Amino acid sequence: MSGRWLTRIAAALLFISLAASTLPRLIAIVTNARTLQPLTYEARRERQMGPWYASIEKLRAELPKKEPVALIAPPRDLDAAVFANYYLYPIHTRLFAGRNAYRNAAPDPTRPKVIVAVNALHAERTEYDILRDRDLRAGRRVVTVPQLSGPIPAFILPIAASVDGPSPDTFLIEATLANPNAAPAEVRVTFWPKGVVRTIAIPAHSTAGYYDFVYQLFGIMSSGWIDVESSQPLRGAFYFVNRGRGDATLLPNASPATAIEPGALYRDTKLFIINPKGTRATAILNGESIPLDPHAFISRPIESLPAVGGDVYAFVSTRELNGRTNFLWPQ
Amino acid sequence: MIGLIVTLVLFPLAGLAFGRRSIGEAFLLGAGITGTVLFVAGVVHVPLVIAMVVLGAWTVGRGAWVLKKGFPLTTPHSALPTILMCIPLLALAFGAAIMPLNDFDGRAFWALKAKGIAHERSIDGPFFHGGTHDPRNQYPVLIPLDGAVILSLAHSLDDRNLRWLYLGILAALALLVRERIGRLVSPAAGAWCAALLVWIPQFAVEPEGGALSAYNDIAIAAFAAGAFFDLLDADARKSEIRFGLWLAFLVLTKSEGLPLALVFLAIGAFVFRKRILAPSIIAFIATLSLIVWRLRIPAGDEEDVFRLLPTLPEKLHRLGIAIAAFPRHMLLMPRWGVLWIAVIIAGIIAARLDRRAWLAIAMIASILALYAAVYVTTAWVPSELIAVTADRLLMHVIAPSLFLLAVAGRANRTSAAKPS
Repeated sequence: MSGRWLTRIAAALLFISLAASTLPRLIAIVTNARTLQPLTYEARRERQMGPWYASIEKLRAELPKKEPVALIAPPRDLDAAVFANYYLYPIHTRLFAGRNAYRNAAPDPTRPKVIVAVNALHAERTEYDILRDRDLRAGRRVVTVPQLSGPIPAFILPIAASVDGPSPDTFLIEATLANPNAAPAEVRVTFWPKGVVRTIAIPAHSTAGYYDFVYQLFGIMSSGWIDVESSQPLRGAFYFVNRGRGDATLLPNASPATAIEPGALYRDTKLFIINPKGTRATAILNGESIPLDPHAFISRPIESLPAVGGDVYAFVSTRELNGRTNFLWPQ
Repeated sequence: MIGLIVTLVLFPLAGLAFGRRSIGEAFLLGAGITGTVLFVAGVVHVPLVIAMVVLGAWTVGRGAWVLKKGFPLTTPHSALPTILMCIPLLALAFGAAIMPLNDFDGRAFWALKAKGIAHERSIDGPFFHGGTHDPRNQYPVLIPLDGAVILSLAHSLDDRNLRWLYLGILAALALLVRERIGRLVSPAAGAWCAALLVWIPQFAVEPEGGALSAYNDIAIAAFAAGAFFDLLDADARKSEIRFGLWLAFLVLTKSEGLPLALVFLAIGAFVFRKRILAPSIIAFIATLSLIVWRLRIPAGDEEDVFRLLPTLPEKLHRLGIAIAAFPRHMLLMPRWGVLWIAVIIAGIIAARLDRRAWLAIAMIASILALYAAVYVTTAWVPSELIAVTADRLLMHVIAPSLFLLAVAGRANRTSAAKPS
């Protein structure tokens, strides 16, 4: 066989080896293109990328054009956020790998206020507290077996919160209310000092559980104290929980008291004073008079245990080095 | 449609403005010159719009004047390889016209940069200062600048306008290969090499790095091809200037372009001898511009190859995996067929018959050795980096590889023609 034929055969084999892989894929490209041809360009993108792209199109229409946007994506879905960034441009975006990255950027004044939650399936404009609630709902409560009180018609929770610190600190109230009676209970819950009220009904012989009592009832992320009044005596358990660290403290049913039990103080120590009454009150703090509005809730940082007096409820919170929150309640 | 017209008219005209070249070479030179001029203008704070207008006016005026003499089109030597070359290009053109961009890097980095530059008319505006999420902030922006020109002229940030640029670069590379190998070896060899090139799956149909993606590896392969052919054609008039331009384009197209340009300069010094000064100066200006620009903008999460290279001795345990990377990927049939097996055989044959083959072999070996060194020193997990980049890096040495095939093919035919 001549060299010329050898060259031709070798070239043909080489070409066939390339075409064997390329030709079917070229045919697939042409077939796909023919299928997409009747559609508009945006519809073609939707066909390629599915409902995810449709949600991006919707966002493009509804987002403010000149305001930066925070793209919050679960770490496993960062690619989706990268592409959302691409399709939303020229809207400026900043990517946050998970909600914690966003909350940790709280001290940054340039952190975007407009939030878009993105995952591999869709993207939507949302609010931080909605994302937080979604995460909390999907997680597990810290207290699985709550220690219920005896049946009583009213509770005063000296502290009630639904707030975040830097990751992982997530403070909330886990609540359980059991109605042991044969009649349904109508429960009036008031969040002070805002004074917002919600009424819940607990059927007879039923139990209501809350993973984030303040947010679930009032739809706000805030701190204060809570007054619970029920038409029937209820058994209740309210825990101040740091969900991120998995620690929980059973809250006492507060009535005016100021003699705070001595205990070790660590970091971020704060004195809290509440006025549970509907009239003005005066707290005496190390001899200094502090006037309090009805239902007031005040806190101030302290370094040593103060002497508190007055017709108020006072307690101290302090954080151990491991991040656990300890409370010193009045005797 | 505007994207298509701009791509087909503007870049070839810009290339022709620098002299009468074949259409493929004119397109690549035009794309390179447009991006480079706008980049250097941006670095010295000439407003991009003014730079675009001046470049456009000069391109149209000078290019049209050169065009009056016509493109030096190569005669279609053989209908079969020409038809074979056209088939995938037509199919890909149909796909590019209809199918939206769908790759990763193209959308995550390259086309996004084109949008950013087109929107802000700047290469160091808010986009490059954290205004939007751009994880590879310091990637060179030659091709995004070309894209920005297209988007600006189209008055749209829609990436459908960019689809033709990337396909155009593949077509131009094929035409460059056809013309240059046709001239350096034989017209038939050129035609067949061009046909083979557009049938290589990694170039034609691979979603990550192929002609329907917005990756820049075909552009690097094309600019490296230009430099390689001018190295072989060193005696031609102004070849050292063109060689320098190709190196500047490499530097400004991708991060690996700079070490690639250094390899070319090192080998080019033996070929051009004293004339290496001109390309060195051109490449130096491009490098300096890149460095100045990078100093002005914050870094992303991209790797700095030059900072990592000194860590080579302490990472030598990775040498095995790095050396094995390319042979393993060369044997991936769905991406390369038996191309690399053929290239190795061709290299052995060609080295015995043609001194120029040694240049091609030296080029391939040096570039792959350099990339292997990067794999050894990388801060990424080497196996993961290799998995996503090795095939695209192999694309960069396609021109010398096709040249070896052409030389070996001609050698066989010549030996067959000799009387026994």
